[in-house]
Amino acid sequence: MKRSPVRLLLDTATPYLNVALYEGTERLGSLYRKGNNDHSVTLMPAVEQLFKDHDRNVEDLDGIVVGIGPGSYTGVRIGVAVAKTLAWSKNIPLYTVSSLALMASGHHGKALPWVDARRGYAFLGLYEVNDHVVQLDEDRYAHLDSYREEIEGEWTAVTSGRPDLLLLERGGLLFPVEDVHHVSPMYLRQTEAERNHSAK
Amino acid sequence: MIVLAIESSCDETSASVAKDGREILSNVVFSQIDLHETFGGVVPEVASREHVKRITVIIEKALEEADVSVEDIDLVAVTQGPGLIGALLVGINAAKAFAFAHGIPIVGVHHIAGHIYANQIQHELRFPLIALVVSGGHTELIRMQGHYQFEVLGHTHDDAIGEAYDKIARVLGLGYPGGPVIDKLAKEGQPSYDMPNIRTEDPYGFSYSGLKSHVINLIHRERQRGRSVQTVDMAASFQKAAIEHLIEKSRRAVDNTDAGMFLVAGGVAANSLLRERVAQTFTDISYAIPDFEYCTDNAAMMAVAAYYQYTHARQSDSMSLNGYSRLEL
Ligand SMILES: [Zn+2]
Repeated sequence: MKRSPVRLLLDTATPYLNVALYEGTERLGSLYRKGNNDHSVTLMPAVEQLFKDHDRNVEDLDGIVVGIGPGSYTGVRIGVAVAKTLAWSKNIPLYTVSSLALMASGHHGKALPWVDARRGYAFLGLYEVNDHVVQLDEDRYAHLDSYREEIEGEWTAVTSGRPDLLLLERGGLLFPVEDVHHVSPMYLRQTEAERNHSAK
Repeated sequence: MIVLAIESSCDETSASVAKDGREILSNVVFSQIDLHETFGGVVPEVASREHVKRITVIIEKALEEADVSVEDIDLVAVTQGPGLIGALLVGINAAKAFAFAHGIPIVGVHHIAGHIYANQIQHELRFPLIALVVSGGHTELIRMQGHYQFEVLGHTHDDAIGEAYDKIARVLGLGYPGGPVIDKLAKEGQPSYDMPNIRTEDPYGFSYSGLKSHVINLIHRERQRGRSVQTVDMAASFQKAAIEHLIEKSRRAVDNTDAGMFLVAGGVAANSLLRERVAQTFTDISYAIPDFEYCTDNAAMMAVAAYYQYTHARQSDSMSLNGYSRLEL
């Protein structure tokens, strides 16, 4: 009998460390925990532990899904560096997913996931979650209050949420990566230095 | 023993494979210098973004060029600090993922240990020795009693020598980085401008802020008086003062200890006047300066240091290995 594919989900773009191991449609185990700017320390031990707890190892992996941002620049790079190195090392498929979509998938109805980007600004998105996740608007860097005023109907603003990979997959929000070497986070913003430079 | 090392502490993304701490099988270095030139210095966020974009390609290239398979690798080494934290974390997390994927032990290595061990690639280190570490971020004198035994004798109290070079180059309108261009111009000029004697209370300490301010004030004063600054002479004057300060402290450290060898390490080791003055000053003991390719940041030096760390100090780290912008040697 062909076994169901084993997939690892990683996301470190938000204040929450997010790691989960799936087999087919079953979530074998997961860790979703608020970090303390320490994803670099906690991510790999969490992955190691997850494999151990569920009696799997890296050789069993059939795919990796990584939260590609937007969010914390340093944070998202930790997950992306790990995901692309694992995928390249073991020659297994890599999928990217919006870190905001991941956050929204833990909720019901219309959700506004956001990550603080200072001075009233945020990285935010708008999603509808039912039996699958629908992206209603593009993820963006925007003024949080101004954006809120424009949203119609009932909605909830969320800053955390244990993700549901299957709802995202059904919504077509996992994107296969063609060349793992070229994966980079979705920052949605130039660096300050680049902005100042092009303003000149 | 074959080591794969990864270095991403500043603006070079590098991976290397080395055997037994001496034989460099590959040393792939991708320098972002052209990119940072536009900004007049290394921009940490820009550097970090470049690292994550290229990290796996660079590792793959290092393995290919070394012509080794993953099964041959005994140890993964990665620069743990000091350096730009966002940049370090890219290399560290990639290294951890690689080590985990293949079940290979991993060690975090101190960047300065790497610069010092760059010398071991061409010269057998002989102990006790004195190492002068000079770069954009460091100006330090270190004594080593044996492999992987470091004792910091003194360090800069303010700017690193490389920082002073960059600042002076900017004021003179020479762009970034300042070291190579000032070195080049200095050869065409005469040290005709007066420079201060640099004094520090601590015998092995360094100070570059006074010299830096002196040169900047001098340039401004000349310009205010409507006199043109002779760039080549200014470069020669500054360089002479900056390098003599290093030589004086280094010689003192060698004389006051029982050192039988003197090493220069770090990016500023590429400076031609420093190389010349070291050759003139340390005629009584053996000295070593790395080849140019091993002066600037590279993973080969980290692979060599990792070998000695593994065989003489601690053997491996766990998956919770982290990076540090500041880190004691
Ligand atoms: Zn360095």
